[in-house]
Amino acid sequence: MKPKEYRTELEPVWCTGCGDYGVLKGLTQALADLEIPPEKLAVISGIGCSSRLPGYVKAYSFNSIHGRALPIASGLQISRPEMTTVVVGGDGDGFSIGLGHIPHTIRRDVNLTYAVMDNGIYGLTKGQASPTTEMEAKRTRGLAGGNEEPLNPVLLVLSSGAGFVARTHAGNMPHLRAMFREAIRYPGFAFLHVLAGCVTYQPRGYADGLLQRSYFLPEDRDAGDLEAAMRLAREDRFPLGVIYRRPPAPRPEPVAASTEADVWSRGDAVESKQDLPSE
Amino acid sequence: MDTRTEPEARPASTNGGAATGSLVIAIAGSGGDGVALLGDLLLSMAAHQGLYGMLVQSYGPQIRGGESAVVLRLSDTEVAYEGDQTDVLLCFRVSDLRRFRGTLQLHDDSLFVLEETDADATPDWLGLPKREPLRWPFATFEDGVEVAGEPKNMMGLAILCRALDWKPALAERALQERFGHRPAVLERNLVTFRKAYEAAENRLEPFARIPGHGVPLVVETGNEAVARGAMAAGLKFFAGYPITPSSEVMETLIDEFHTVGGTLVQAEDEMAALGMVIGASFGGVPSMTATSGPGLSLMTEMMGLSSMAEIPAVIVDCQRAGPATGMPSRTEQADLFHAVYGGHGDFPRVALGVFDVVHARDVMFRAFELAENYQLPVVVLSDAYLAQRRQIRDAVVDRREVPRRWRWTPEHAPTRFKLTDAQPTTPFHVPGTAGGTYLAAGIEHTEKGHPSADATVHQQMSERRFRKLPAIAIDTKDWFRTLGRDNARRGIVAWGSTWGMLREWIASHPDWRVFMPEILHPFPLESFEAWRRDLEDCAVVELSYQGQFHHYLSSLTDMSRVRSLARSGGLPLSSRELTTMLAGPAGGTKEHA
Repeated sequence: MKPKEYRTELEPVWCTGCGDYGVLKGLTQALADLEIPPEKLAVISGIGCSSRLPGYVKAYSFNSIHGRALPIASGLQISRPEMTTVVVGGDGDGFSIGLGHIPHTIRRDVNLTYAVMDNGIYGLTKGQASPTTEMEAKRTRGLAGGNEEPLNPVLLVLSSGAGFVARTHAGNMPHLRAMFREAIRYPGFAFLHVLAGCVTYQPRGYADGLLQRSYFLPEDRDAGDLEAAMRLAREDRFPLGVIYRRPPAPRPEPVAASTEADVWSRGDAVESKQDLPSE
Repeated sequence: MDTRTEPEARPASTNGGAATGSLVIAIAGSGGDGVALLGDLLLSMAAHQGLYGMLVQSYGPQIRGGESAVVLRLSDTEVAYEGDQTDVLLCFRVSDLRRFRGTLQLHDDSLFVLEETDADATPDWLGLPKREPLRWPFATFEDGVEVAGEPKNMMGLAILCRALDWKPALAERALQERFGHRPAVLERNLVTFRKAYEAAENRLEPFARIPGHGVPLVVETGNEAVARGAMAAGLKFFAGYPITPSSEVMETLIDEFHTVGGTLVQAEDEMAALGMVIGASFGGVPSMTATSGPGLSLMTEMMGLSSMAEIPAVIVDCQRAGPATGMPSRTEQADLFHAVYGGHGDFPRVALGVFDVVHARDVMFRAFELAENYQLPVVVLSDAYLAQRRQIRDAVVDRREVPRRWRWTPEHAPTRFKLTDAQPTTPFHVPGTAGGTYLAAGIEHTEKGHPSADATVHQQMSERRFRKLPAIAIDTKDWFRTLGRDNARRGIVAWGSTWGMLREWIASHPDWRVFMPEILHPFPLESFEAWRRDLEDCAVVELSYQGQFHHYLSSLTDMSRVRSLARSGGLPLSSRELTTMLAGPAGGTKEHA
């Protein structure tokens, strides 16, 4: 299938120039690269601008309620492990209302990809501060929480024990595509931090500013060093690429919890992400 | 209004004594006395010889180590009520009795067994039997201070075996079963038991023996029955968060789920628990969670999602007393509003009520049947009184066919949420089915699942979702039970675990009959109206300070001439209390603030 064939007939409601378009494109490209059949794919979200994304992907998609994408995806993935599950959402959905679910999903090492489009703002509710909004920005723009430190998502997931952590930028399509590919192929919980702008509620040039603060990690670097990954996570700049990749734990052959195997053919199911065609 | 914590003066006649084929034994003590173990042993010994019965436990406010009591009822017929008089009271420390006001009540012929050296006065409310109490040297003393000695509960077991006229081999077998893997403990217990059994000879007059039918029966708690009933109904995924008094549903599944190939997750909170259930069920897998009031509150948004996205979910709520934390180990029937009305926006859901341990299994089957057939959340209302009791029941083999969700295939119309008058639901698109991809959504959506903010779509989709309720009401119009004679002129309406008491109460109150719905929402209204048509007096009896059930029925039909006999929970309703309540002012509804 071509990337475009992973799109539904729905037209995105995002603002013109929104970084989420890039994420949608990068995701469908990665899905095409990995040749994942739409019926074996689940794309699950909570609520927010970026959480509209599942509606645009041809998959068993679920646009659920605010902050709860991870439990819903976990229930599906744990009981139907042959499915490829991708969770998408924003920084408010994931790091504020839904934060409590992140470490526990990581502890369970649920085999899913969690991509957070982090634009540092609540867009859908029109511009309130999010857990990743910088203090300076909150003060100068009169947003609530001017004395509250922003949260460091990459450090959070690393310290919770995530086996795969990568960062990318919504404006860099080839990198986005490659990172999605890597994350989806990782057999276990994979976290993808997507730096994104908000054309409506962030100042002009915000996304470019993020890009200027970013740099690419060398591709041949050893990503298996947790200490080094923690140091990268604490930098003021944004290293892009695979920040941490632990050798995946052996996983049992997926067996669905349902006995009604007649409905979906187990034989041709993608047995695990490890067996997906390589690049 | 009188409640069981303020009991009436002791009546002269006994009720539920040995002569009626039933015996109530209460055992009270402190942590370390082995009260709970003794109760369990007696119950399993009864079940082994084909006797019925049940056991309820009561703890002090401490989690462990405080005073505790068990009330055990033995009977030659199935019972779901522990009785309201104590035929035998075994008490290791009189001061421990203080906390069990309302739970224990002696009569003239009761056997009272207490510590030989205990000089404390027994509380007035307990009543003193005419029969001479049996004083027994349970405790061991050194220099006037009580020290750990021989196991008191084994002495108790011996005394009770004598009182019940049970052979010692029965107790030895039960001990072997319990402690066979710890020979030293077994031996120590056996030695004390045998010694005390000898010593008790001729020291007390045995009660008339209640014969069992000889076929071993099953001992099960309400929570175990819920878990096993769910497995029999096709449950394959469970997620839950520990909460009193429902935790044993999850614990039973941890031990037994593998027998049906199920998967279990202990979630980080109740929102995640129901979220995982919805996620698994979105995947086509029959799923359930179990919780209690505070957990149900946290699950409420998810309940709306289950209904909105039309994803089956079974939610067991073991009701406990009070809002916020309330009284976690105590029973109440005050989650009815929440189950029926809880949540923002309009959405259909089903609420079922459980009567007792035997009924629980059947209710779970019905819960899955409705959830899977109608693709919506089903709340099963259990409560602390039945969830944690142990009840002896007949062994059953469930031969019913497991409910199967109507699954989408490419031959069906392509849209998941098609607006159609032909049937109340449309086929469920199970992930993995080629050509069936769609968007499930908590956001309002069109037939295709596309997000929509169109008022007409919202109206049409609400109609689509709510069309399930009248269809369910037709399927479930007979989901109620009645007690008493059809021509009785006075009626009681009640629900849930009050069943066990009412079933016995009605036998001695021929003027009354009882209506108990098994489904609370949608309510079997036509059946109810037919049942009450020629009544002269009618009362709704419930454990809810606000009288939630009476209020709920008032929203469905004219209840202006029906009395509301409601009190807050804590202790379940006793038959004596019910008689007192009904004798109160006739006619009119009690007004609640």
